[in-house]
Amino acid sequence: MTTVLAPVEGAAVGLAAVPDPVFSAGMVGPGTAIDPLREPGKAVAPIAGKIMKLHPHAYVIVGDDGRGVLVHLGIDTVQLKGEGFTLLAAEGDRVLAGQPVVAWDPSVVEAGGRSPVCPVVALDAVAGSVWGVAAGTVHVGDELFRWH
Amino acid sequence: MPERRVTVVAEVGLHARPAATFVRAAAKASMDVTVAKVPGGDPINAKSILQILALDVRQDETIVIKAEGKGADEVLDELAKIAGSP
Repeated sequence: MTTVLAPVEGAAVGLAAVPDPVFSAGMVGPGTAIDPLREPGKAVAPIAGKIMKLHPHAYVIVGDDGRGVLVHLGIDTVQLKGEGFTLLAAEGDRVLAGQPVVAWDPSVVEAGGRSPVCPVVALDAVAGSVWGVAAGTVHVGDELFRWH
Repeated sequence: MPERRVTVVAEVGLHARPAATFVRAAAKASMDVTVAKVPGGDPINAKSILQILALDVRQDETIVIKAEGKGADEVLDELAKIAGSP
């Protein structure tokens, strides 16, 4: 079982609340989303493992068991081309759960007309394997959901 | 083995929506489906969103999609259409 931690502080709102059907319809996978606090923060690794992909606006950590978790910092933020995001780690790095990966400011994303909501998704998870999903306020490093 | 070569034209590459749509379509296929970058990339499982994101196909890169068996051409046509959509 994998315990997935909250990568950012805010309110766990569920994937259905994400204003992008690719996430809200569960097309990427199951999980939840966090509506982040509107202040500068550091998004952390939700699980321990290797940073398989690191974009300024999104990253995937793969654990030693081969399971990958995607963290997407805001919606349509690929269009920002990295502006407003600072990488705190490198692709291929091994990280501990809770280790900072990207510094960003959700209020800047929002001011640019985009949603700063952060989907946190279990990649290739089979139906029904994600449970214990947190609701409401979460702090960085709090348990967000479990993945069997 | 039947295959399709496609150049990805979407600005985001094979990420986000194109990636999810591609994997969803591949997952419906009854046979194995692989994707590799051209030239010379190692084939990965087209039904895995994790592997597709790891493949990291960018705009203007070319991929080869392969599948074999009954209905393979239909599967490949659909996947090539998704991967080649702007």
